[in-house]
Amino acid sequence: MRLAILSFAHVHAEGYIHNLRAIPDADVIGFADDDPERGHHFADLYGLDFFDSYEDLIAERPDGVIICSENVRHLPLIQMAAEAGVHVLSEKPLATTLEDAQAILDACARAGVHLMTAFPMRFSAPILEVYRLITSGQLGHIIGANTTNQGKLPRYHTVYPRAWFEDRTLAGGGAVVDHTVHLSDLLRWFLRSEVVEVFADVNNILYSDAGVDVETGGLVMLTFDNGTFASIDCSWSKPPNYPTWGGLRMELVGENGLVTVDPFKQVIPVYRREAGGGTWAYWGSDSNQGMIDEFAAAIREDRAPSVTGYDGYKAVEIALAVYRSAETGEPVRLAP
Amino acid sequence: MFRVGLVGAGFMGRFHAAGWARTPATLAAIFAADYNQMHALCESTGARPVDSLDALLDAVDVVDICTPTHLHHGMALKAAAAGKHIICEKPLARTPQQAAEMIAACRAAGVILLPAHVVRFFPQYALAKQTVDEGAVGRVAVVRLTRVSSGPAWAADSWFTDFDKSGGMMLDLMLHDFDYARWVAGEVESVFAKSVGAQKPGERQDYGLAILRHTGGALSNVEGGWAYPPPMFRTALEIAGDGGLIECPAEGTAPLAVYRRTTGGDDGAITGVPTSPLAEDPYTTQIKHFYDVIANNAPPRVTAEDGLAALRIAFAALESAQTGRRVRLEEVQ
Repeated sequence: MRLAILSFAHVHAEGYIHNLRAIPDADVIGFADDDPERGHHFADLYGLDFFDSYEDLIAERPDGVIICSENVRHLPLIQMAAEAGVHVLSEKPLATTLEDAQAILDACARAGVHLMTAFPMRFSAPILEVYRLITSGQLGHIIGANTTNQGKLPRYHTVYPRAWFEDRTLAGGGAVVDHTVHLSDLLRWFLRSEVVEVFADVNNILYSDAGVDVETGGLVMLTFDNGTFASIDCSWSKPPNYPTWGGLRMELVGENGLVTVDPFKQVIPVYRREAGGGTWAYWGSDSNQGMIDEFAAAIREDRAPSVTGYDGYKAVEIALAVYRSAETGEPVRLAP
Repeated sequence: MFRVGLVGAGFMGRFHAAGWARTPATLAAIFAADYNQMHALCESTGARPVDSLDALLDAVDVVDICTPTHLHHGMALKAAAAGKHIICEKPLARTPQQAAEMIAACRAAGVILLPAHVVRFFPQYALAKQTVDEGAVGRVAVVRLTRVSSGPAWAADSWFTDFDKSGGMMLDLMLHDFDYARWVAGEVESVFAKSVGAQKPGERQDYGLAILRHTGGALSNVEGGWAYPPPMFRTALEIAGDGGLIECPAEGTAPLAVYRRTTGGDDGAITGVPTSPLAEDPYTTQIKHFYDVIANNAPPRVTAEDGLAALRIAFAALESAQTGRRVRLEEVQ
């Protein structure tokens, strides 16, 4: 199986290289990037073949590609791959507008290629336990959920500069588009129910003094068709010297009990003699590997992946409703 | 030295009585509807049982009201008319209008009115507030507060779950964190909230989530509930600002955990709730502070106006949860 990465704009591409190389029957043919400097940097770092044009890489006829471009550039790359019959795993958010998200779904459907959205948390071992607990009915109806996906300002969790995360024209927004999609996807998956109402409020107190003009703080309230309500804190509120990149936590209150999950808690704190405080070294399972394995399996078995393009579309729809609600100050209704 | 009269000898009354014992003030009299509770507390404290609020007012200088919420207003007005300083359990009253009347009556009578928002006296909450005030986290941006327990089975009767008497979980429990959010992030402009309540048919639990917008632009996520399986109680606190972050998570700060076999033998169930022992419990810290305010004119850490403001946030949250709208504080009377 021939696999490749389109663009190293997204920080996750760095991890995916290791995940791809861990697949026994995968031939990692390299990656393409429109930024030659970035391309040469990562080609040297990881010993990869670098293509300075996406077309040239697609012409190598890979079976599947992972899209790690800036958010607004997902659509043209996915269209290019789909038209060449190449299966696609796209970073989240799938797109920054609903029109783009729909065009992505259409392009893949027309070409008959499989489209997967990169929601690695669905492959996290602690999260899978919660999924089993909730879908087996052991907690009863889930009344509400209090959830967080907070992080550092993106510039502080990448070694290679990736300023686009804080640029509305390339990312589609700030903390909301970055950090609501994982949780809205997990909640849809756990609850087997769609979001019918979105309320949100955002601010940009954090880092406004550092020239960041996108929202850096945000609180979201989702209401699902089954009555469950859930708040999401998507803020970039972890300071630069926080011991890890951020985190994701969920507390779900059911009729029959409570489940709390912190899938990034499997760490050893490491304290060094040098100034700067400690860091958390993660020893839990790599959920990205589970996700990339599933993408490869979907290609190998010619079937839809367990996380689809539609899941990505729904997450985009919710994130856009977050922005609408934050602008108007009122809840926004969505069709289930 | 002043004499204190305690009204109510339930869960909170007992905590307050223990606090007064650690001050130079004298707990002189107790009036409570529950005869057995009243006599038991009088026996352990040396206070005199009395058979009416009027009799209590005749015997004391300061009245400490620890009765169900709906009774605060009437009792406080009587105490103010009698010229007594007043300590009043939170919520200050059942409605903001009642609280405003209490404040006006106390001002007219020249007596002090202090609401017992004990969370401001819990050391981790007080320290976090002090840390914010010292500028350690810069300008506050996002606050997260959690306070969820199992149902209030510890109540002597079911008044907590009687909405007319208590105002429900949002007014009784989330009020703590509405007050705290306002204390650390400033006045609240609007509230959006969701809840289920045991008052509604088909609901066994109370649970709520509220998003507050503060006038300075900060946002607060407040979670509250009587929703966990017993005997759980969790609180959490997080304050993020443009200069730093304070985290006090629900798990991880209790220094002591004891796990016991409940049936003996190796196959017995094990139960345990981690605890956080302190040399002085926060209720006592609070009562000592109130003593200092009344005896020595110390500036109060929490005022009746704070109590009223917290009530108005809770009413906005209730209104939002009922109507599905974002409710602006100016809409609350």
